[in-house]
Amino acid sequence: MSIVLVGINHKTAPIEVRERLAFTDAACATGLRSLVDGDIVREGLIVSTCNRVEVLTETNHQQLEATAERVTNFLSRSELLPRSLFEPHLYKHTDDQAVRHLFRVTSSLDSMVIGEPQVLGQVRRAYSIALEAGTAGRVLNRLVHHSFRVAKRVRTETGIGSNAVSISYMAVELGKKIFNSLKGRTALLIGAGEMAELSARHLVNAGVSRVLLANRTEGPAERLANELGGEFVPLDELSNHLATADIVICSTAASEFVITEAMAREALSKRRNRPSFFIDISVPRNIDPAVGTIPNVFVFDIDDLESVISSNIREREREAERAELIVESEIMQFQQSLRVLDIGPTIGALRQKLQDIAKLELTRQRNRLGSLTPEQENAIEALLMSTVNKISHPVLSHIRSSHEIRDTDNIQAWRDIFGLEE
Amino acid sequence: MRSLLLAVLAAYVVSSIHVVLAFLNKRRALQRVSEWAMGIGFLLHTTALIADWVIYGEYPLFYLREALAFLAWALVGSYFLVLYRYQARPLGIFTLPLVSLLIFIAITTRSEPIGSVEASSVSASRLFPLHASLLFFAYAAFFVVFVASVMYLLQERELKLKKFSAIFHRLPSLTTVNEIATSSAAIGLTLLTVGIATGMVWSSSRDGRLWHNDPKEIFAALTWLLYLLLILYRSTASWRGRRAAWMGVLGFVLVLCTFFGARLMGGYHVFG
Repeated sequence: MSIVLVGINHKTAPIEVRERLAFTDAACATGLRSLVDGDIVREGLIVSTCNRVEVLTETNHQQLEATAERVTNFLSRSELLPRSLFEPHLYKHTDDQAVRHLFRVTSSLDSMVIGEPQVLGQVRRAYSIALEAGTAGRVLNRLVHHSFRVAKRVRTETGIGSNAVSISYMAVELGKKIFNSLKGRTALLIGAGEMAELSARHLVNAGVSRVLLANRTEGPAERLANELGGEFVPLDELSNHLATADIVICSTAASEFVITEAMAREALSKRRNRPSFFIDISVPRNIDPAVGTIPNVFVFDIDDLESVISSNIREREREAERAELIVESEIMQFQQSLRVLDIGPTIGALRQKLQDIAKLELTRQRNRLGSLTPEQENAIEALLMSTVNKISHPVLSHIRSSHEIRDTDNIQAWRDIFGLEE
Repeated sequence: MRSLLLAVLAAYVVSSIHVVLAFLNKRRALQRVSEWAMGIGFLLHTTALIADWVIYGEYPLFYLREALAFLAWALVGSYFLVLYRYQARPLGIFTLPLVSLLIFIAITTRSEPIGSVEASSVSASRLFPLHASLLFFAYAAFFVVFVASVMYLLQERELKLKKFSAIFHRLPSLTTVNEIATSSAAIGLTLLTVGIATGMVWSSSRDGRLWHNDPKEIFAALTWLLYLLLILYRSTASWRGRRAAWMGVLGFVLVLCTFFGARLMGGYHVFG
């Protein structure tokens, strides 16, 4: 039993190639059914996202080459997709390498933005398609579930996903750092730009209960206010609302300061010095930098956010190194669990076969024994079973030790001797 | 007794190491080990204190080693409370090593009475245990204020400078540490007030004087005033955030002066 993974990703192939190779969900299902023939390719799964197309298969280990070849042909599924188009970008991994690759993909170590959480959902989706298509069997089931476990471990034990790496999410993260929880907080959006809107959505998802939207013109701002469940406030009433806002996101096209130091000071004293958090994503800046010198007021402009983001990315990269160690240790565990998987059915079938023979013989000879007390009957059965177990014990331990050294021929020989079918 | 305290020390050392590792590695399993070790240590520690009390028949706060052990016990207790109420685990990386150190000193210190006052005459009074334990609990509360204030200042500084170190993401939020500092200061001040009051009553019953002008009393009075100011300012909201946090740090310096400084300067109070 071997695992073969063939694919391309954002590191090996440009978007022009990736987009042509990508599968829709429906194409995944039909493709998998044609790819998995039960002979060379025994199980299969396709992960297709905007950053990667990966085909994961299970085969026996004499046929690694054949499988990789078959998958490559499978990817070149029409004349529009000649092998020459994508073959130079293709990577082919087998066994441990393939397991490592899948673990890294699922844990988001192979993502364009390390630690981004979507990829786990994408692998989950790919897996459920394979399940529906009936092409995920006992090996891939284990492998994929194991990869989910690795992803969870990586996420909880390292910080690869913990520091925001997008400006829109920064507002939530820093907001939580200041206010602990955003539940029940009020956010004020000044200007209705795209970035402000995205930030506001993140804030609402994180629990912000009230959104105020101040804008020069009413039209689009009011629509956005309705969508977010917020209230529109005219720009000239800004200073009245500043005091109620815990988080202020400013993104107007104004060329002068929309929030001056005096306004911020006044708001702060109305707020009885409760901390407030200003984010200025407009260029030129809309919040007087002097506001940042007021105690209990925290101001971040676009440059500050960018520099925090780049340090967060570095932090994620450092954390990713620790994640790689987790992946390595999990590969070993997976191989171990696979070994058990491999040998389990053989041992079970052998034991069952011998026990069945013993039981059959007992029922055949039962009449000759005359009437027996239940105790006697039990004793006879126990005698038979222990005889069978004693005889089969050396065989089973022999099979186990051949399994340890991966001597599959020997195991197969034992299966043949006892007539155990696949 | 000594072997019991050694076991306590071992548990706290294990707990300290794991809490630091958990802080660095973000592993819940390590944190759990730390909390279990601390729990076991705390139980043994409590047993040791009670045994001390029962065996020697006097309240276990008279000798320096007893005072240190008791202070350590109060610190662990307050960490438990903060953990329970705020889940502020990073407090442990300050508290647990200190606690281990205190227990270590307590074990290595020889148990001879300090000062001239007879132990029996001091602990004969019922007010002595109350007076001393209240103040120790107050010290523990002020230590929590101090640590919370330090965590506040570290983070506030990084937020202002917009440069975040690795520990930034691991500390509790500004609001949380602020709440911890505020409520601990209120608890500490209450304990301190009652503690000083019982001390005065006890003193007047001994020699009719409420106040001896001894360094410890003066420092205690200053400490009391400072925390009173801190709480007044916080409640009127004119001082929030950084200034209040600096006061929390300053207050703890006074607490240290009260605890150690007064001992060095001598005076009426002869023990910790």
